[in-house]
Parts: sequence; structure tokens; C-alpha cells
Amino acid sequence: MDRNQMHPAIERVLGNIEKVMIGKRDVAELSLVALLAEGHVLLEDVPGVGKTMMVRALAKSVGAAFKRIQFTPDLLPSDVTGVSIYNPKEMEFQFRPGPIMGNIILADEINRTSPKTQSALLEGMEESSVTIDGVTHRLERPFFVMATQNPIEYEGTYPLPEAQLDRFLLKMKMGYPDIADEMEVLNRAQRIPPIEDLETVMDLAELRSLQTEIKEVHVDQTIKRYIVEIAGGTRNHSSVYLGASPRGSIALMKAAQAYAFMYGRDYVLPDDIQYLAPAVFVHRIILRSEAKFEGITAEEVVGRVIARVSVPVQRLVK
Amino acid sequence: MRYQRVQKDFATFLLYVLGFFLLWEWLRPVEELTDTSNIIVFLVFLVLSLLLAFFGVSPVMSSIIKVIYILYELHYLYFEGSFFQFSWIASFASDIWHNFGLLAERDWPAITNLFRSLLFFILLWLMTYLIQYWLINRRQIFIFFFMTLIYITVLDTFTPYTADAAIVRTVIAGFAVMGILTFNRLLEQEGLKKEASLSRKWMIPLTALIALSTGLGFAAPKAEPIWPDPVPFIKSYGQNSGGDGPGIQKIGYGEDDSRLGGPFIGDNAVVFRAEVESRHYWKVETKDTYTGKGWVTSQPEGEYLPFGLGEEIPVTSFIDNDAIETTEEVSSVYTFMNYPHVVYPLGLKSIKASPFITYELETATEKIRTLDSGRPFALEDYKLGFAVPEYSVTAMKASGAQAESLPEEFLSRYTQLPEELPKRVRELAQEITQDKPDWFEKARELERYFRRAEYTYSQTDVAVPDENEDYVDQFLFDTKQGYCDNFSSSMVVMARSIGLPARWVKGYTEGEFKQSLGSGLRLFEITNNNAHSWVEIYFPEMGWVPFEPTQGFNNNVQFNFDTAGQNTSQPEAEEPKETETPVKPDKPEVTSSKESAFTLEKLWGNIESFFKEHWKVIGAAVAAAALLVIVIFQKRGKWLPHYFIWRFKRTRNDEHFSKAYLILLKELDRYGLKRKSGQTLRDYAKYVDSFFSTREMSRLTARYEELVYRGVLKEGSWNDTKELWENLIKRTIA
Repeated sequence: MDRNQMHPAIERVLGNIEKVMIGKRDVAELSLVALLAEGHVLLEDVPGVGKTMMVRALAKSVGAAFKRIQFTPDLLPSDVTGVSIYNPKEMEFQFRPGPIMGNIILADEINRTSPKTQSALLEGMEESSVTIDGVTHRLERPFFVMATQNPIEYEGTYPLPEAQLDRFLLKMKMGYPDIADEMEVLNRAQRIPPIEDLETVMDLAELRSLQTEIKEVHVDQTIKRYIVEIAGGTRNHSSVYLGASPRGSIALMKAAQAYAFMYGRDYVLPDDIQYLAPAVFVHRIILRSEAKFEGITAEEVVGRVIARVSVPVQRLVK
Repeated sequence: MRYQRVQKDFATFLLYVLGFFLLWEWLRPVEELTDTSNIIVFLVFLVLSLLLAFFGVSPVMSSIIKVIYILYELHYLYFEGSFFQFSWIASFASDIWHNFGLLAERDWPAITNLFRSLLFFILLWLMTYLIQYWLINRRQIFIFFFMTLIYITVLDTFTPYTADAAIVRTVIAGFAVMGILTFNRLLEQEGLKKEASLSRKWMIPLTALIALSTGLGFAAPKAEPIWPDPVPFIKSYGQNSGGDGPGIQKIGYGEDDSRLGGPFIGDNAVVFRAEVESRHYWKVETKDTYTGKGWVTSQPEGEYLPFGLGEEIPVTSFIDNDAIETTEEVSSVYTFMNYPHVVYPLGLKSIKASPFITYELETATEKIRTLDSGRPFALEDYKLGFAVPEYSVTAMKASGAQAESLPEEFLSRYTQLPEELPKRVRELAQEITQDKPDWFEKARELERYFRRAEYTYSQTDVAVPDENEDYVDQFLFDTKQGYCDNFSSSMVVMARSIGLPARWVKGYTEGEFKQSLGSGLRLFEITNNNAHSWVEIYFPEMGWVPFEPTQGFNNNVQFNFDTAGQNTSQPEAEEPKETETPVKPDKPEVTSSKESAFTLEKLWGNIESFFKEHWKVIGAAVAAAALLVIVIFQKRGKWLPHYFIWRFKRTRNDEHFSKAYLILLKELDRYGLKRKSGQTLRDYAKYVDSFFSTREMSRLTARYEELVYRGVLKEGSWNDTKELWENLIKRTIA
């Protein structure tokens, strides 16, 4: 897509992130898509590829409160949500908010903690609120979780259940930087981490207004049909045990709206759908064991479905 | 043209060898048909030239080698002594110079053999150059192959050269060359490397195919040619008027009429000029025996009845009696051709010429020969005295009744018909004349019959009857077009078939009016184009009466209808009635079937029988139409975009934008830029743009995306993007 047409505010943010993240523009774009679409991101990758840096840079750019939770096996739900502590002076329980009460949260190694703690976070993600001691606390907008997880094959992990994976708008991988990029990373590492110097280029109010604006991006009937056909394609695919849910379709549409908006359009193109569909659908698909043994991945399945479903080139006749 | 680097592999070598074989086929007949000998010298030259080309010898070098070879061979063929003595060069040069002079004078036959050989060498040089160009640069040899085939077949048809083996050799070599060249072209187009396995995959089926097709050609039964040998037919074209036998003839007066038919070409040569008082035909001779193919005489030719000056001329014409009013007239004839006979009008009374001339009448034909001291002599001018008759129709009508008075011998001579004459001729004659009571009416009816629209006058499209066909029958029923011979012969035969004594008369029409000479005299010019034939029918006590059945001709014979009353059906019959529609014999059947109950079964039966009868024609038409449609469809790349441009260029309506864009997609697809079903328009546009190195498709697509995915069409979108669209669709024109 043409960078010249980028929405100016978005381009500002992305440019800001690029100052500290080298060669990861696509990841930054997708993260921003999720932030704008009020969704959450699951980053699956090995440690040390810059996941934290990414989130911190994003948070700093939009002037959001950044919180980080390192998930460990012994972490308790209250460590995430916050806890009520008895204040002897006031003679009452006082709520002390946990790290979830931020704008942008990095949930590091989410699959290392027990399902109980995981669900505490996931509830907050879904409902935009947490309930502690019978009191419901609304979470501040924007609320954006970027969870990271080690590849599940690693030992000592609690894989996220499918129903909970569904709550992430996008799943993506950072990947290793290429040689030139990594050398540049080394160059920068010799100096003070520049993240400290990063300026805020957008305030939260602007971000919120952008989030509202995105809902106005036009998704034509032809495009909706295209989304549904792709989702249906994942359900009917022979290698798939469980395809993308309607929630997946909604997620794809919302992500596409945000993505189109980023590129200065007020309507969604099939190109947007094709670009985002793998990120939106991959973690929502459960492959058959036979397919897994054959080495087929969910990415391949989604790729094939996209290649097969014909792109609408005419308006639907109503 | 530049010399492309020749790949020196086996396939290329094979190409050259096959090219040589094709060229050889051009030389083979030369040896056989012309007095060219030592053809081997030229063959060696061909081999040499092709080898030089194959090994990529530089043009300068190869030219030098070729020139030396040519000089050496010319010396070897035409000069004595050693090649290196160089004394022959001078005479060679002078010979060349001399021949250039001959060329300038266009004195072709005088050109020496030496110079001819030199020119032939140069021709072959050019040919090898062409072969090289076709084989290596163009990679197409079809034209040459086709020309070779034409050359061989034409020679086979028109010369003693038998090309049975040559055709087979040419086809094998030609197909092989074309096959290899196609393979090479494909390799080039697809950018493939020439691999042994790939070559095998192509060459083995190619060999098999050639073997199969030649084998089939050998084994298949060969039909005899539908045309008879065309050579005599075409050869006769060049012959003079009155050529023997059918064929294209020059019009004019001929002696032999035993085989009539075939087209005529005009000839404006003047035969004679005549000063006449009134228009009339000029007789030369008559014939009485119809053979089925033409006219001969029943009596032996060469029997002459001499008559002298002032004696009565023994030509038979009308008989003087009260029923015929006559007017005396005189005509003068000035001849332009050396014919030793006179042309004379009906009712000839006297011939006035130089007093030493004697005359004799050929009894078989009534041709009047002119003699000077016993030898045939062509007169330069002569005066003819004759009586112009005006026949009384009443007497004519009555005269048929006295038919019995005619001598048996006379009747049988002038009602002779060949036994093979098809029945339908007779039946037709009877049908035409059945309502008419007397001879005169019958004759008039027969004469009138030929004025029908179904008969057309033509000098060019005239058939020659086949061995088992009758000349008259063919004209009356099959071809229905012809010239005077067809019409007059047919009328004579039909008249005879109903018992009227008739004979066939040859001569000239009145010719072309030139000028008025005063005192009632008019000058006419009679050319070969005015040669003509007509009919005379004998009426008892009246004599011979001329009739003119040929369309567009008018004999100016006077019939007096005054006394005939209203009985004559068509007194104005002199004018051809072309509006008269012919009655088709099948018409009554059609109407009767309509009158009887019209049922679906019958209709179906009719349709079925129609298809059964015409299935070949219908099949051919359908096949041709299908072929046409296929060809048009195959070539749609050439015309369809033009049509779309024409259609959409005029409109300013934005609604057409979507339609036009979709058509563009389709045309691009046909052009070969395929869009996968999962490919987005934007992606495809980039692909198209990179293919054509433009940005037009992307710009056009951006507009279209807005329409399809946003549902918004900005006003004037089509106008803005029309040019982009037009440019793109023009690129799809194959």
C-alpha cells in the first residue's frame, strides 16, 4: 500500500515508533490497527526480539499510561486486577488498583501463568471492566493489551484455551530482524536506549476520537460478503477442525476498517481483507491432528482460502 | 537485413539441407523442360552458398567465393583454355557488355547463353539469400513451400513434366522444415533452452506425423480429375477465329461448325463495308445436318455449280409469287479480308464485279465462290442486286397445308435430326407449338420462345457439350445462356422436330451504321463481331423464310399482317418480350399440394426431403458459417477492442464506467494477462501496469475501487478516465 496516502496522525505515530524499532513497521502497523480497532494483540515469539520495546514505544507515542505484567506460575489474579486492603486509619477496605488499570498493558509471557490468573486478564480485555470484591471497576479508555507468549512447544506453559484466544483481535509474530537491521540495532544499543527520549505525538483524546472515527469507515456489502466467504472458507477447509467464528468475521471487519483508515481511506478494500485475514484468523483456527502431522499450518490454510475465494469486482445487485 | 549468427547445430544443418531440397525441386524441371544442361553446376552453387551461410562466413568473404565460383564455372562451360590465362576475361566482358545492349533493346531471344547462365547464377544467389532469411531470421517458410507446390503442380498440369515424385519429396521436405521452424519459434517465444529431451519430444511426433501423412497420401485412392485436361481448353484460347473444335474462340466467320459451343471473345477486325439502301443480313452459307454437337453438310462438299455473269444465281430463297411483294435494291460491298466468297442478302438476283470473275455455288452450302481463271480469288468490291421480300402472313399461314407437295427427299434433308437427340427437345417443341394451327404460327412461336427471360445472351459463359451431351439440349434445358449459334441451332432443331423443314444460315448481321451517303444510301461497317447465324424455314410455295431467334437481334424481315386480320396473336413480336415470366413446370404441383389438406406431416415430409436433397449444400453452408464464426472469434482481438472503443468513447454517462472497466478486464484476460480469482484488482492493476510499463491501470482501478467498494461514483469519473481506459484497451489489440 502506498505510504503517501497515510493518515497524517497515524503516520506521526508510526514514524515515532520507527525511531526505536528498526525494520518492524508492519508489526507496528498491526499493533496500531488493534489499538485503533479497540482490540488486543497476541504476540507469539521468543524472548528478546523487542516486544516490550514495541509496546513501550507505542504507549509513549500516544501518551498512554503503560503497565507491564510479567506473568509467572505463582502470579495471582489479584496481582493483575488489584486488591482491596484494609486501611486501619480509615477503618475500611481501600481498593488498590492492579496493573490492569492502565491504558496500554504488556502482558508478558501470558502462557506461563495459571489459567485462573489468565482469565482475570482476559475478562478485563473482553468486558473492559474488572470486578473485585463485588465492585465493578470500569477500565479506562483506551484499553489495549499486548500479550506475548512463548511458542507453546516450550516447557512449563499453560496454553491459552481457544475461547480465550478468540478475544485477541490479532495474533502476530515479531520475527528476527534481518542482518542490516540487526546491525543497526547493535549500533543503537551502544548508546542510551532512545526510548527515554521518545516524544508523545498524539494525546489520548485524539486517539479516542480516532477510534470513534474508524467506526464510520464504510464496509460495503460486497466486502462484507467477501469477509464472510473467507471465514466460511476456513470452516469448510478439509484440514480444519474448527474454523473462524463469526466473532472472527467481526474482528476482521473492524481490523480492516482501522487499516483502511490508516491509509486515508473511508472504505475498505479487498486488499485490506487479504492483508489482515491471516493475522485475524490464524489463532482462531484449530487444525485437525492429521493436518498437523502433515505439517500444514494455519497460516497456509488461511492463505489457500484467500487464494481460492474470488475477489468481488462488481457491486452486488440488491 | 543483417546476418544473424547462425547456430551451428544439427537441427540448423537439417534446415539448410531441407531448404536445399526445396530449391532443388525448382531446378529439376528446368533440366527436363528447357535446353539447360549441366544443372549440376548450379546445384553445386546452391550447396556452396548454403554451406557458406551455414558456417556464417562473412558476407564479403562469401561473395568473393561465390563470384570466383561463378566465373570459374562460366569459363568452364563457355571458354577454351586455362582459367588462369585470363585471356578469356576480355571476351567475357565484351559479351556481357553486348548483352546489356540487348537488354536495353529488349531483344530477349538474342541474349547469349553465357549471359543467361550468369543471370541464372545471380537468381540462385538471391534465392539462397532468401532461403537463409526465411529459415534463420523469419523462421517461416510457408510462402516458399506453397510457391514450390504451385510451381510443381502448374508444371505438371501444363508441361510434359511429371511431378508425381516431386510432390511427395516437396511435401516431406516442406513439412519437416515447417515443423522444425515452428519448434524453433516456440522455443524463442517461450525463452526456453534447447534441450535434447525437448527436441526429441517435438521431433519424434513430427517425424511420425509426416510419415503418417505421406503414407496416407500414398495409400489413399486418388480420384480422377473432375475437369477434363484443361490444357487443350486453355491452348485454344490463343487460336484464331474459327478454330477447330470447342474452346475459347475468336468471334468471326469460320468454316467448321461441327463442334459448337464454348465462349467467344470479340474481334473488331473489319470484314467488309457495305453501301445499302435498307438494313439486311448478309448470308454466306447454310448447313443442313445437325450432328448433336454442331452442323455439317449432308451433301459432299467441294461440288460446285458454276454460273457466269448475268446468269441466274442458283441460290434458293423465297419463291416469286403474289403473296410476296418485292422491292428491288442494290448494295455495294467493299471487302477488307481476302475471303474468296461473296456475302449476299436474301433474294439475291445479280452480282456485279470485274468482268473476268466467274462464280460457282457450292451446292452443299449455297456458298458462292469467286474465281479468277479457275482459281479462288477474293474480290475487292462488288455490287449485289436483290429483291427485298415482304411476306403476306395470310399466304404464309395457308402454305403449311401444302406440305405434302414437298418432295420426300427435300423434307427428309431439312427435317434431319440425330437419333440421339433427347426426347425432351421434341417434347418441348411440341408443347410450345401445340396451340398453333399452322406452320407460320408455330415458327413464330418457336422464335418467340427464346425471348423469354430464362434465356440469356452471353458470349463468355457458354458451355461445350460433353461427349454424351447434345448441344441443343444442353442449351435449352441446362445452361440457358449462349450466343447466336445456340439460339439458331436450337430453333432449327425444334422446328425440324415438329416437321418444319429448316436450315441453319451463317453470315453477318447488317453491321454498324457509319454514315449516310445521300440519295438513300447508308454506309455500314461489318466486323468479325457481326458474324451471326440464324434460321430459315421452308414454306411450300413461299420458299425459305428467315427467322431470328437470338435475343437482341432483329432480322428486318417484313411480314405483311394487313391481310391477316386479328388472327395473328402477336403482330409486334419483333420486339423481344423480356417481361414474360417463364412458367416453371413444378408450379402446379406446389399449388395442388397446397389445395389438398395441409398437414404437419406433409410439411415435415417436405422439410425432410428438402434436407435430404440438399444436405450437402446445407452441410457445407453450415460448416462454412461455423468456420467463419470460429475465425471471427479467434481474431476477436483484432476487432473487438475497436468496437468497444467505438461504443464507449461517445458516451459521457458515468454509468458506463463500470461496464467499460469490466470489459477491459475481460479483454486483458483474453490478451493473456490472467487475473486469478483470488487476486485483488489493485494487485492485478500493478501487474498489468508493470507489464505495459505504465501507471494507467492503477489510476483507473483506484476510481473503480471507489465505485465498487465505496458505492460512490464521482461525477465525471468516466470522462476523466476515458482516456486511460482507451489507452489500455488499445494495448489489448493483438
